[in-house]
Amino acid sequence: MTGVKVKTNPHAGLPGGRHRWRFHLSVLLLVIPIVLSPKFFREEALFFGDSGLGQRELGEKAIGPWHVHVAEYMANAPTDQGLAGHMKTFAIRWNAEDADHIKASYFRIGKPRSLRAAGVVLSGGPYRQMADVPIPERVKPTDALWLTVEGWDGTVHQAAIPLDEASPATIAWLKQRGETR
Amino acid sequence: MRNKILWLVAALSSATASPALAHYPYCTCALEDGKVACKGGFSDGTGAEGVTLDVISYDEQILVPGKFGADSVVRFDKPSGEFYVLFDAGPGHVVEVDWRDIDGLTP
Repeated sequence: MTGVKVKTNPHAGLPGGRHRWRFHLSVLLLVIPIVLSPKFFREEALFFGDSGLGQRELGEKAIGPWHVHVAEYMANAPTDQGLAGHMKTFAIRWNAEDADHIKASYFRIGKPRSLRAAGVVLSGGPYRQMADVPIPERVKPTDALWLTVEGWDGTVHQAAIPLDEASPATIAWLKQRGETR
Repeated sequence: MRNKILWLVAALSSATASPALAHYPYCTCALEDGKVACKGGFSDGTGAEGVTLDVISYDEQILVPGKFGADSVVRFDKPSGEFYVLFDAGPGHVVEVDWRDIDGLTP
């Protein structure tokens, strides 16, 4: 009886055998989440507030009779939002004893002209409020981030945080933009 | 095979894409035929019909009270003196345009 001719597999011994591309795709699908997971968990902790108010906390600021913690949410350059211009996100947390006295808070880069033009209203609960603050076209590195607060008692208080303290990344971005213009 | 790869890419893209939720207000002004024309809206493509647009002097006098129509544009004569345009979609939803930032009016 003659032996049956067995067809040899040209891919034998190689990773994945005859389905080599599937093997590499599977490896890629495993490697991508492993590589990205530290960033993912870091961002999840930031989004859920587990890692604090933001990536750069500016500490407690006094505003009138009240006290608030301020943070730069992400310590990177302002993001381009198309027609609305560039935006930078800031976050605040009111002290527990002050939270009930606050009606509304607003952020603006540059001193507000009036309460009506006080800037962007902060949204969220009193212990984590955020706002995307537009970067004005004529902003200078010496400008400040102004926080305007309306109390339920009708009073309005303001505090200014120099922009180089509020967001060094924005200052660096402004300088870079100034050089390229 | 190529179709399978395309389907896989499409499925992965749609699974990982996140919808844009922000709708920032915007207002841009320019000089057109001797009048200042301000176009307003929101960055998600929504128009500004019914939104207030006031032209206010630096000493806080309202020079031109206005509202956006269906075309989301307000036109007004250039006031004398320094002024700014305030797009006011409600408290905390405002956009200011300084007269120096109006195209065609730049000193």
